[in-house]
Amino acid sequence: MIGLDVGSTTAKKVSIEDGKIKYQITGTHNWKDLIAGIDGKDIISTGYFRNTVPHRASVTEITAAIYGVRHYFPDADVIVDIGGQDTKVIDVRKNNFIINDKCSAGTGAFLEFVANYFKIELTEMGSYHGRAKRIPAINNTCGVFALSEMISQLVAGYTQEEVIAGMHYAFARRISFMIPEAESLVLIGGTVKNKGMVSALSYILKKEVLVPDEPQIVNALGALKYYS
Amino acid sequence: MPVQKKIAITALVPPELIYACGDETFDVNNVIPESKKYPRNKLCAWTAIWQEMLSKREINIDSLIVVAGGDCHNALVDGQKVAMSGIPTHFFFYPFDGSAEYLESQLLKLRDFLGGIKSPEKPGEIRELKDLGLEIDKKRAQGKLSSSDAFRILISFSDLAGDLDKFRETISSVRETDIEINNRIALIGVPPIYHDFHDVSQSLGLHVVFDELPYEFIRHSGTDIHQIARDYCNYTFARPLDFRIKFLQKELQKRKVDGVVHYTQFACHHMLEDDIMRSNLDYPMLTIQGDLPGNTPEQIKLRLEAFREALERS
Repeated sequence: MIGLDVGSTTAKKVSIEDGKIKYQITGTHNWKDLIAGIDGKDIISTGYFRNTVPHRASVTEITAAIYGVRHYFPDADVIVDIGGQDTKVIDVRKNNFIINDKCSAGTGAFLEFVANYFKIELTEMGSYHGRAKRIPAINNTCGVFALSEMISQLVAGYTQEEVIAGMHYAFARRISFMIPEAESLVLIGGTVKNKGMVSALSYILKKEVLVPDEPQIVNALGALKYYS
Repeated sequence: MPVQKKIAITALVPPELIYACGDETFDVNNVIPESKKYPRNKLCAWTAIWQEMLSKREINIDSLIVVAGGDCHNALVDGQKVAMSGIPTHFFFYPFDGSAEYLESQLLKLRDFLGGIKSPEKPGEIRELKDLGLEIDKKRAQGKLSSSDAFRILISFSDLAGDLDKFRETISSVRETDIEINNRIALIGVPPIYHDFHDVSQSLGLHVVFDELPYEFIRHSGTDIHQIARDYCNYTFARPLDFRIKFLQKELQKRKVDGVVHYTQFACHHMLEDDIMRSNLDYPMLTIQGDLPGNTPEQIKLRLEAFREALERS
């Protein structure tokens, strides 16, 4: 049995073999590679395309996130899942959730804009952030307008590293409006591999945030756990 | 025989009075979920679309009644735009404090705008139809009617589909069924702008047993202006929030709902009520927001499906 999370930008497969979590991640367009030789009746799907891909059972990303996070942090109060196209905030205590997908400012797509502008990989943005000496204020919460504000800060003399850090803060501030008070806050989703973004959010919320070792596969794992 | 005029309404206006004045009622909102319009200048798509369709004469009507007090400022402004395009328009105001005397004075002005009472028997006929509506509402909550069949009828009570006899036939053509209801949902706020919302909800395991606004359409009546004023003055959407919340608490308890879906419309003032509803209605609540008409979008379906999973976890 596998958990399969086919999201808007990446597809993830998780299985548990001899008690160990095995996983594979690829681009959404290559999702079929993940299930080569696997029968649909052995797949528990989740993610945006959960009902499109072969599956024995499907579950929404919200429920999958709760089950997946429970594996790493059984006492999590609030889960923030930052996906490529939307951000979900799940209040586990109240069995409640909100999703932001009206605009890109609080989603992975926003940081992708920034990485594309500087022609760097998304995975490099955390180390750029770490080298920043100052943090410019980027106030605009619209992804496109923030980009033009970012260019203004570059012209004003801030370095590329500093502007990237400023964008992480703008991003984190946007998400922080959605997050309720919590004892234990867990971040998941591919975007949270970016340490700069995580530290900006931790700073704005004035609290430690928990991140699983492989935050991108939590929903695929959760789908599997939900069914087993 | 006098010619029956087609009188459009922008929100609930007692249809008893319009029919009593010998005219046909037409709720402009009923065409919007199926429309393919992308209005040029909009806040709320509901008012922007009817404004554009009326001003461009894409809907033929004789006069318009704009609910200006008890609805929103968008309707007030868009109603004036229609008036400026040359359509005879009357502005109708519900009392915020529930004053029956004030509402009676408004109804008298409306009667004069419509040219006086010509068919005083019509309100009685409408009362009989509304009794059938209350029966439909009850059967749906018992699982004897699908929520979409019931909704289609209940939403039409604002104008009684323009023809009392035909509407009676439509009501009697509804087929009973036997539905096992697992998740009993109250749908509060304005009706969703998506034409397939009730079907989609049902296919995702959420059975709407209460539609807040359509219930207002069937529960008010009266056989003359004096009575109509004394009943419609409790139209909850026009009254203060605490009045509406008390009413909702009672109805939700009566229908044994498991969860509440609060539909909000982009740029509608009802959006501002969400936190108040959440803190006063002690049920799991999902808030969704729609903008333009059409099919229920995938991101809304995700929320509905996740809400069903949440209800099943609790």
